[in-house]
Amino acid sequence: MTVQLPFSRPEVRHEGHLKVTGSAKYTGDHYPPGLLHVACLSSPHAHALIRGVDTSGARDLPGVHAVLTGADIGDVRFGRFLRDLPVLATDRVRFIGQRVAAVAAETREAAEEAVRLIDVEYEDIPAVYDPREALTADAPVLHPEAAGYLTMRGDGRELPEHLNLQGDLVAGRSEEEMASAFAAADRVFEHTFRTPRQHQGYIEPHGAVVWFEGDTCHVISTNKAPFTLRAHLATATGHPAEQIVVYNRFIGGDFGGKGFSLDEFVAFYLARATGRPVRSVMSYVEELSGAGPRHAAELTLRTAVSSDGIFLAHSADVVFDGGAYAAGKAAPDLVPHGGLDTMSAYSIAATRHRLRTVYTNSVPGGHMRAPGEVQAVFAGETHVDLIAGELGLDPVELRRRNLLRPGSPAPDGTGAQSAAGEVLSRAAEGVDWATQPTRGRGTGIAVYRRKGGAGRGGVVLRALAPDRFEIVTGAADQGAGTVTMIARVAATALGVDESCVEVVQQPTAVAMFDQGAGASRVTRVLGEAARLAALDMRDVLAGDVLAGAVPAGAVPACAVEFPVEVTREAEAPRGEASDTFGAVAVEVEVDELTGQITVVRAALAADTGTVINPLSHRGQLEGGFAFGLGAALMEELPVEDGQVLAGSLGDYKLPTAPDMPPLTVINVGDTPGPGPFGAKPVGEFGNLGVAPAIGNAVARAVGVRLQQLPLPAEAVWAGLAERA
Amino acid sequence: MPDSGKRITFTVNGLERDVVTAPARPILDVLREDLGLTGTKEGCSVGVCGACSVLIDGQLMSACLIPVGELEGRAVTTVEGLADEDGRLSAVQQAFLTCGGFQCGICTPGQVVAATALLAECPAPSPEQVRDWMMGNLCRCTGYYSIVSAVLEAAAAGREEPA
Repeated sequence: MTVQLPFSRPEVRHEGHLKVTGSAKYTGDHYPPGLLHVACLSSPHAHALIRGVDTSGARDLPGVHAVLTGADIGDVRFGRFLRDLPVLATDRVRFIGQRVAAVAAETREAAEEAVRLIDVEYEDIPAVYDPREALTADAPVLHPEAAGYLTMRGDGRELPEHLNLQGDLVAGRSEEEMASAFAAADRVFEHTFRTPRQHQGYIEPHGAVVWFEGDTCHVISTNKAPFTLRAHLATATGHPAEQIVVYNRFIGGDFGGKGFSLDEFVAFYLARATGRPVRSVMSYVEELSGAGPRHAAELTLRTAVSSDGIFLAHSADVVFDGGAYAAGKAAPDLVPHGGLDTMSAYSIAATRHRLRTVYTNSVPGGHMRAPGEVQAVFAGETHVDLIAGELGLDPVELRRRNLLRPGSPAPDGTGAQSAAGEVLSRAAEGVDWATQPTRGRGTGIAVYRRKGGAGRGGVVLRALAPDRFEIVTGAADQGAGTVTMIARVAATALGVDESCVEVVQQPTAVAMFDQGAGASRVTRVLGEAARLAALDMRDVLAGDVLAGAVPAGAVPACAVEFPVEVTREAEAPRGEASDTFGAVAVEVEVDELTGQITVVRAALAADTGTVINPLSHRGQLEGGFAFGLGAALMEELPVEDGQVLAGSLGDYKLPTAPDMPPLTVINVGDTPGPGPFGAKPVGEFGNLGVAPAIGNAVARAVGVRLQQLPLPAEAVWAGLAERA
Repeated sequence: MPDSGKRITFTVNGLERDVVTAPARPILDVLREDLGLTGTKEGCSVGVCGACSVLIDGQLMSACLIPVGELEGRAVTTVEGLADEDGRLSAVQQAFLTCGGFQCGICTPGQVVAATALLAECPAPSPEQVRDWMMGNLCRCTGYYSIVSAVLEAAAAGREEPA
């Protein structure tokens, strides 16, 4: 793109003033008059039958307005695709942390006290925690009634070969084709990798404020997809969608987790039972034990390589621990799809992937910043370094020989306009790859490709005056800068100053449909809708009204009668190629006495197309890098016999300011993306290559190779001891 | 209400406040629920994340940990008290805005209050001092780079324009 765009000027976030003054109102900041507080009772058993629930003590407590159990509301199930999760358990609990009863009371203290007074009689039944064990013939079956489960489409689904199988996706060549490709190769390498459950770690827990006005149910929610939430609430409760209004403005962090709702459903029933507004906000204990963390995974990768280091065939068998319910996954296959991206930055003639998700008696898995892909890229990029080591090739050189590139693109066209090679070189240069590090230090690299998300959304653009425009969107902004992005795109397409455009976020009852934030789709879809609407508006207003940039305040003479309104939708098709490539290179220092890893410096090179919001773009890359650093070095949600062992953000460690190494962000290439003015997806991008780059650097520094995450000092130390 | 009925008098952002409540309630709940000051956020609820950072007699504290009974006669400053009477942003708030020192913004009130406390104590901190001080305020969005820049910029602005 050689078009001169006004995007190089750093943006000031339109909502920034509200955020730095504490005036931005998040879900939990709403306390409507008459509000009742919600607390929920969770199961302390991993797998048990419910024999009886006595709520009399809770009901008698002063200040308590309602106590609901599964017996009160019936077997009501919900889920992002498969509706297998009960709002409140009826006859059986399947994980520690599953909700069994809910209370609405005058104060938070009274609600919590009432929960303590509920008496549940459980009968333990055999549980299964290991996904491979769960797929054996005599494993306890978690969902004997699975045949009756419905999807969000209202239909059933074909039952898998084992009832504990949530999802089973096979993609690529046949087993026979793969066998012959492997048989013909000079070398075949196989490695197995393990990655843990990890929590999204947003600082704002899930929550909802719900009330009824007549038959209309109003919902303020942390959910990042208001229209989808409305559909889910309607489907689960039977309440008509047109009588549900979802409001959504500020969301305190998402990282994949805020597409999955829990509180809205109990709050719906409690608000209906009490006739009062209710506020349900999860505690962080509930967050860590029940809110849809990243799936733990075991990945076995096989790659056939020619003697000159060309990848000929690649297969991956990925088993995800799905936990007790599939409800947290949005895709019909019920697998974290990014598992397909083990080696998707490379040109490989024959590939085959099998992804399985398995029911176990632990916290249900959900989406977390590039679901499945984080696990896949860690495995794939570690696998590539292991192969380089076996072949005696430099890891950068082996990657260069195999990257997708013009002339050698992927079947879907990805790579045809790729700057992947430059991305790789620039990241390597960022840590002086060619220079031999000192003892105890090493450099490591990882390269990856990011696909964009599919979806649809629309905006309403109103010209209120020749220099005053309003854009109405139903999108929530989970922090990435949606509002500012829409304004800048529209202003550019209109040819007016950004200060002439105001973006207004409206509830589902007013705004046009939007599929919600997620899969890095917002700029692609809503930015494009805003651009198309602005072009239509230019046609309506005619050239003379909008000739050149209109200075704010200057009103040219015109014949058009204001306001003028246009609406536009945009849709990103499934599987759209975006040629978005990234590479992370790091230099680490390993303390050979303790095994402690310190990242000394890092470089992140990104081919992410036209940058619309420079500060936010940089923020996504830097924040993504930090997210990847946490996942690499410290984050694990340990589970023992179904019990999550991290009870607070004190136990579940997130990176802090002193943990961050100097980071060079390098914007590479000007290959256009599918978004407005050539933008590309960037939300789930900066975190992808960090863990393999660090693991590869540790191996090159001290010869200790770790094939699981995180990479704690203890494991490095054990490796060092073994080596000595 | 159980255990109600103690009158506690303190100032919040310069205004005298008088609440009758159970003295064991966390300051955070009193600020948000009784006084309508929802700028101070609740994240982890155990004093780890820093989202509820406030100043009590100028000292940086986690409002989720301190019972309101401890406040008698003391002065609380929250994020709502940092801009001046005309609504002009403080140097720290302004720097967070121009440096892009936030994304979702849920931790921002706590970050801004913590940075204000640092610059009151140490008007010209080194980058390392900033990083160490801000360790008590988790941010999941930014990776901290723009936050550290914002605090350093606020310090520089403060040196140019002494209050």
